[in-house]
Amino acid sequence: MRATSLVERCYRAALALYPTEFRARFGAEMLELAQHRIASARASGASAVFSEAASLVSDVARTAPVQWIRAARAGRVRAAAPYIADSTSVESPRENMDIILQDLRFAARGLLRRPAFTVVAALTLALGIGATTAIFSVLDAVLIRPLPYPHADRMVALWGVQGTQHGNGIVYADYVDWRAQNRTFDDMGVYRSQSVNLTGRDTPDRLIGVFVSASFMRLIGATPSQGRMFTDAETEIATKRPVAIVSYEAWQTRFGADSSLLGKTLVLNGQPHVVVGITRPNVQTPYGPGDVYIPIPYYPNASGLERGNRGVTALGTLKAGVTFENAQRDLQALAKRQEDEYPATNKGFGVELQPIRDQLVGASSRTSIYIVFGAVLVVLLIACANVANLQLARGAARYRELSVRAALGAGRARIAQQLLTESIMLSMIGGVAGLGLAVAGTRYLATVLAHRVPLGVSVTLNGSALLFAAVISILSGILFGVAPAWKASRTNVQDMLRSRTGSAGHGHAATRNTLVVAQLSLSLALLSCAGLLTRSLIELQRVQPGFDTHNLMTMQFRLPAVKYDTPDKIMAMFDQAIAEIRAVPGVESAALVRAFPFTGNGESYPVAVDGKSAAPGDEPQVQVNTITPQYFSTMGIPRIAGRDFATSDNKDAIPAIIINDAFAKATWPHESALGKRLQFPGDDRWWTVVGVVGNTKHFALNEPQLLQAYIPHAQRPQIFTTLAVRTAGDPLLLAKQVRDAIWRVDRDQPVWGTSTADQLLDSAVGPSRLIVGLTSGFAIVALLLGALGIYGMLSYTMSQRVQEVGIRVALGADSRQVVGMVIRDGMRIVGLAVAIGLVASFGATRLLRSQLFGVGPADVLTFSVVTVLLAAVAMLACYLPARRASRVDPMIALRSD
Amino acid sequence: MAADPHAQLPLTAVVLHILLALSDGERHGYAVAQEIEDATAGQMRVGPGTLYGSIQRMLAASLIEEAPRRRRPSDEDERRRYYRMTAFGHRVLELELERLAGIVRVARGKRLLPRTGTA
Repeated sequence: MRATSLVERCYRAALALYPTEFRARFGAEMLELAQHRIASARASGASAVFSEAASLVSDVARTAPVQWIRAARAGRVRAAAPYIADSTSVESPRENMDIILQDLRFAARGLLRRPAFTVVAALTLALGIGATTAIFSVLDAVLIRPLPYPHADRMVALWGVQGTQHGNGIVYADYVDWRAQNRTFDDMGVYRSQSVNLTGRDTPDRLIGVFVSASFMRLIGATPSQGRMFTDAETEIATKRPVAIVSYEAWQTRFGADSSLLGKTLVLNGQPHVVVGITRPNVQTPYGPGDVYIPIPYYPNASGLERGNRGVTALGTLKAGVTFENAQRDLQALAKRQEDEYPATNKGFGVELQPIRDQLVGASSRTSIYIVFGAVLVVLLIACANVANLQLARGAARYRELSVRAALGAGRARIAQQLLTESIMLSMIGGVAGLGLAVAGTRYLATVLAHRVPLGVSVTLNGSALLFAAVISILSGILFGVAPAWKASRTNVQDMLRSRTGSAGHGHAATRNTLVVAQLSLSLALLSCAGLLTRSLIELQRVQPGFDTHNLMTMQFRLPAVKYDTPDKIMAMFDQAIAEIRAVPGVESAALVRAFPFTGNGESYPVAVDGKSAAPGDEPQVQVNTITPQYFSTMGIPRIAGRDFATSDNKDAIPAIIINDAFAKATWPHESALGKRLQFPGDDRWWTVVGVVGNTKHFALNEPQLLQAYIPHAQRPQIFTTLAVRTAGDPLLLAKQVRDAIWRVDRDQPVWGTSTADQLLDSAVGPSRLIVGLTSGFAIVALLLGALGIYGMLSYTMSQRVQEVGIRVALGADSRQVVGMVIRDGMRIVGLAVAIGLVASFGATRLLRSQLFGVGPADVLTFSVVTVLLAAVAMLACYLPARRASRVDPMIALRSD
Repeated sequence: MAADPHAQLPLTAVVLHILLALSDGERHGYAVAQEIEDATAGQMRVGPGTLYGSIQRMLAASLIEEAPRRRRPSDEDERRRYYRMTAFGHRVLELELERLAGIVRVARGKRLLPRTGTA
């Protein structure tokens, strides 16, 4: 019964495939017949229902296209009735199919007869369709395809807000209240990621630890492949249990798929945890892959979960039907209540929501993807214009053929349909060839983007990309086929036959010129965009990071708090490690720094300046780094005033601080900063400025210069730190020796994140480089296609004007005059295209504003350069046909017909 | 319309069978489909799209026409429309059957068909 009604429902839906008129007239009766058929099949069993369904499918597939053709032709027949004598003849579906097959055969023959045209046109289209499809697969993966979470459409990230600062973490205790009191969320979960030291095995290892609530695991759809997930009680502070869940991938790679891991105890951060589960493969958190999941109360920074500390990240799923705004209002009301209830810790703490996709795909990436997709669509459009132009030229050459067919009784509609069939066949060939390019392109992009696309997203050429390719192939076919088909169908048979040379006349020339102008102006707009992005990249690469990246290496390690529980123990470990590292042959100098530049680590505080009172919230925001002596000389950061830290700047000395030039100039523009005093929130000591050093970039090259300050590790030891090692040669060759040096101090200390400063700098420029590379590549392709367009157009015009040129030469025009004449013709078109293109460029580059760095959207230099480039390439494209024209032998030209 | 019935020949199998089915009087589409299936002992089953596609073309060519609404038994479906053959359609059917009969005669002459067992 269910199967039967399903077939019926499908058939009802399939009726939509017929043209409206036909459906309105016969749809109900067709459905009735189908129902009877299905009902009688049902009486004979499931296999009969199946075969009936199959025959209905085949019936629809055979007859729906026929009805569309009839409907289309009926429209044209009404318009051109006097010319078509046989408008009422009965055509069977078979006859209709015959017409289509005939068209297809004819099209195939036509394409085969001119292999050069076919190959050029198909390759042009393949380029456009392939590139567009490859970029679409990125767009689809990142912006369209659903995220791998159970209710991704209702999933939001919860962010703390304070004053003008957005995107802060939230307070764990607040989260607990919100989860209990809200009326708009199905559930909420918290998350905090931090590396975890795994000990008690052969070698110390570092795992990516994810500290979570049980609800978080449910929200992201994590299920076990072995064992179980956490219970709510296990992840609450009062009832916490030392348990752990290992990710499937970590189980495979880190634990050798050990079948007895479940139930075993792992020593994580010095504390034993029992493994209660192994996840299914491919569990994705929105924040990064995890090796091991641990209940949130075991988060190692003891104060991280206390009131006032915005230490966790939260996710939630809205109840079905609740709007984003309502949920936000609900939470904000709760946050307000907490502000009143806990004024000491919660004053000014707000909350806001963000759809999970927006969080995963930042506004900047989204713009980048749209820019590249826009660029590739322009290339596709230009490719279509090129093929349309080739078609028109061919249409002109085929004038006689078509006119003979028309004279023999082929209706205009028939001829137009024939030409359109040819166009679509051509675009399908291009599409198939383009798929090859798309496969290669997608594979390349997937590799390049592997670490840049949001987690849980993979770039693949899937069904929707294939569908997209099919649709744009057909659309392209229609797009570039319509103009030639329309032209052909509007031409008068008498004129066609009378025309002696078979020349196309003015109508064609105008259409072709318009297409060439459109191509060139689109190319110019795209070139301008690419030019601006390239200049931004150059500006970005010109930015000095403020330190010498050559032969410089970093590594990271985090001391387990259980083992290093006093500042003295931490400093003893650090001092010994640095001494060991400096003793490694090939190491020139070494220092520790809490956050090495461009690693993404780093923290900023509002700093109080002695003698300058500032309203709360108006204090200078300063990026503070904790370092050991010789950091500046290791990094190559210049000293501007004062001194470096020394070993004497220890816990017994007065707190010393070194600030950067920008901070010094901003705070004490007219006097020396040395001797001035600063204070950090939550630390009542005054820190005295002992030195001023050069500015450095820390998070990104395009960031505005940060105010920076450095304090000695010895006066505020931190368990997490990175290394800065300057070497004589390639630093990576020494990586193993440096790690061994650390292990000589503590055999159990995991070390990770080995990277050279050059690599870090390179990846800081990476995303822009990719976007610039793609956009510029597309712009160059567009330019070449545009040049090909004007070249083809002029070559064709010249071939039509051989006689005229011959007469001119016979009358004494020299070759220079002929060349000038042709180039003038070409340059008129180029001039018009440049004018339109520049206007379009002004519009287009405005959209880029957010992506530009160090250059405005209306940069005169860029616009001039791309205009000259376009004009030069176009000039060359004009010159070739001009030179050919100038070599015309007047005798041959005049004899030619 | 003074159309030439010869121009319609040869008929497709579906059109021929529809005309044959309507030769007994007006029918609705479903009944036509059933009659075709019965007449060909299930050899020929026309799908809805094929049936109504053909009906549409036959209407356009004036081989058949829609019968005026008539009083129907109350259990009959409102959706049904009845079709009947036109005089032109009748003429075309006759010509087609003559043509086919001619072919059969030729085949018999060549002893390709048994002489007995005529229809």
